[in-house]
Amino acid sequence: MIFNTFSYFLLFLLPAAIGFRLAAPAAKPWVLSLFGAAFFVFFSVTALAGWIGAACLLLFLWESAISRLYRPGSRWCLLGVVVAVVALGIFKYWNFFTGLPFGGNPRNNPWHWHGAFLPLGISFFTFEFIHYAVDRWKNKTVPGKFSEYLAFILFFPTMVAGPIKRYQDFLPNLRAPSTAWAVDGRLGMTRILVGLAKKFAVADLLTALTDHLNHDDIAQAERWILPVWLMAYGVKIYADFSAYSDIAIGSARLFGLKVPENFDWPYLQTNIAKFWTHWHMSLSKWLMDYVYIPLGGSRVSPPRIYGNLLITMLVSGIWHGAGLNFLVWGLWHGVLLAVHRAWTKRAGATDKSPTLLGRYAGWATTFVCVNLGWAFFVMDLPTASFFLRRLFLG
Amino acid sequence: MNIFFLRLKELLDYLNGCSADAPVWLGRNLPGWVWGVWWAVLLGVIALFCGQSSKFIYIDF
Repeated sequence: MIFNTFSYFLLFLLPAAIGFRLAAPAAKPWVLSLFGAAFFVFFSVTALAGWIGAACLLLFLWESAISRLYRPGSRWCLLGVVVAVVALGIFKYWNFFTGLPFGGNPRNNPWHWHGAFLPLGISFFTFEFIHYAVDRWKNKTVPGKFSEYLAFILFFPTMVAGPIKRYQDFLPNLRAPSTAWAVDGRLGMTRILVGLAKKFAVADLLTALTDHLNHDDIAQAERWILPVWLMAYGVKIYADFSAYSDIAIGSARLFGLKVPENFDWPYLQTNIAKFWTHWHMSLSKWLMDYVYIPLGGSRVSPPRIYGNLLITMLVSGIWHGAGLNFLVWGLWHGVLLAVHRAWTKRAGATDKSPTLLGRYAGWATTFVCVNLGWAFFVMDLPTASFFLRRLFLG
Repeated sequence: MNIFFLRLKELLDYLNGCSADAPVWLGRNLPGWVWGVWWAVLLGVIALFCGQSSKFIYIDF
């Protein structure tokens, strides 16, 4: 919810943007921090886990405190990463991993956490915490002031679902935000309105089709309708998440701040590697910098490269959700990326541009493969398997 | 990419608020009244389709 509520626009976005614009330079980070903290508490209490969820504001306070100790090569950076990963692991994956030995049945799991909840935006702010700790450790970013880092982690337009920011990009923006009120206002409002229209008129409307992706409806449906439902989900998730990103980016623009883009026509791409550089781009770049490259990236032997691709996409899968279906979704994309890499190596396709027919074939293959993968994203594993059996075997 | 689709993509990016400047082939930025009409269209679409109260579907919601 959040971005399609009046509370967001009237209580937070407009007052914060105006306050930020009018504040003295030294006060600007504090304006963002205070509104960010209020945003976290308000929506935690009203939309998520109540006051216990709001208490997770302590995670930001801990992060802002320990980050002051980060130095290049310092073990404090390592501690920061460990604490961020452990917090994410407990809140998001406790029941999933402890439930694995018991077949995922909570009744059989003696360690099941019945009151489990997710702190608002934890999957995203954890990635920003890790980014800052690693980049400080590698001396790739400057520390900035306490208030500036607090403003970075508590910047509410991107707190809940990204785009995932980088401190070295955000800080110069924060210190010298755009003063072109008219242009920022036009671009920001346009982006927000387009995002809301996309959400309501495309994503929400497709729910009528995607609601059928359940075992009973799949069992009764005629076979030809199954790919229609799945493609509807492919369009819906794109419209939904790109709409969310539009609103986040447009909101930031009202402050005079630029945050990374997240989507650049992903469904028009002609291979799976290009798809991932145009879909949820801030996440893809994060995974590249903080998972794939540290594993050795492409500078290792071919078998290890394929392994790195699989591991990176498995991390992406489990990050998207605590479920075996998300692991399979990640594995599917890892295999696609590995096959694509092997194919381009073998064909030497990077040396020459493909023919028109080749581009269309590449686009169609990519589109079909990505949409098949959504089966594992939207349905649990048994239902997705049943769906694919019905789709291919009747 | 076909020049038609390339231009269409540039125009949609401009209307989406992704770029401040109009595509070169358009010659100049759209006047204020055009943006007003565009916003009115968007607001109309929002008013027409809102109220379905579905959540954003990505993660953690």
